[in-house]
Amino acid sequence: MRRVSIVQGENAIVVEPDVVVSTLLGSCVAACLYDPVAKVGGMNHFLLGEPSSDHRVSAGDMQRYGVHAMELLINGMMAKGAMRNRLRAHLYGGANIVSGLGSIGSSNAAFAHRFMKTEGIEVAHSDLGGSSARKIEFLPHEGRSRCTKVADRVPERPLNPLPLPVAGGDLELF
Amino acid sequence: MPAAAAIKVMVVDDQTSMRAMIRRALQDLGFKDVRDKASAPEALSAIKSDRVHLVISDFNMPEMDGLQFLEAVRTDPVIGKTVFIMLTGSADKEIVQKAAALGVNNYVVKPFAPAALKEKIERVFGELT
Repeated sequence: MRRVSIVQGENAIVVEPDVVVSTLLGSCVAACLYDPVAKVGGMNHFLLGEPSSDHRVSAGDMQRYGVHAMELLINGMMAKGAMRNRLRAHLYGGANIVSGLGSIGSSNAAFAHRFMKTEGIEVAHSDLGGSSARKIEFLPHEGRSRCTKVADRVPERPLNPLPLPVAGGDLELF
Repeated sequence: MPAAAAIKVMVVDDQTSMRAMIRRALQDLGFKDVRDKASAPEALSAIKSDRVHLVISDFNMPEMDGLQFLEAVRTDPVIGKTVFIMLTGSADKEIVQKAAALGVNNYVVKPFAPAALKEKIERVFGELT
């Protein structure tokens, strides 16, 4: 069994059997998506929101980061043969672990559910919220996942997962 | 200065959330006539029968991608001159160059802020009112 571990801001897309993708989550959310017909699966790990009172991101920015993170995963899966209308999701994370960070975990969890509903992606399983960190293991080829509650706090980088270009690119063609 | 309200827009993206976000950004900029489609073939057919001034299209779509869509628009005798702005991922420099060769008017890299979209539209249409 090959193991692939991802951290915040990353995703992994798998088409082969006997591969497990794992990640550790606190207030972040991981979406495990799979197409049971094409046997293509993938997981991402994102945090929408800056856990610092100095650099709060707006609701609009959070939406953009989240939609973009999901699009990268879905487009990557479609490039390997998945079909959007066959996708199913397992959602994990979104815990409110550290006091003083407000409800970032809840916001992440709410975004994930709203996204799946908007896109018409069936949520086959979800384990979101609470106050415990989680270890997620996902078998993308089989579409099976397992969640273990972790007692220790998961270190989360106080960084936005994705840069937000203001000028819209560095190629000056126009 | 063109009034945003007078510009008819077609938004094309296979992701519903992205279309909704772009629609909202355009509405905030004063655009009133915004239509959207989930695929390039649907959008092509729609803008052939009811023309628009501006197309904002994703690149990465199944069936027909943004470059194929752009080419289909540019080679059409009726809608060939429609303003076309492409949405791309950050790593898609080659795609931007291909789009430039095919006559794209501008491009925006995802994820983008509404201000970036406004700036790119204004570079083509002039300052919006």
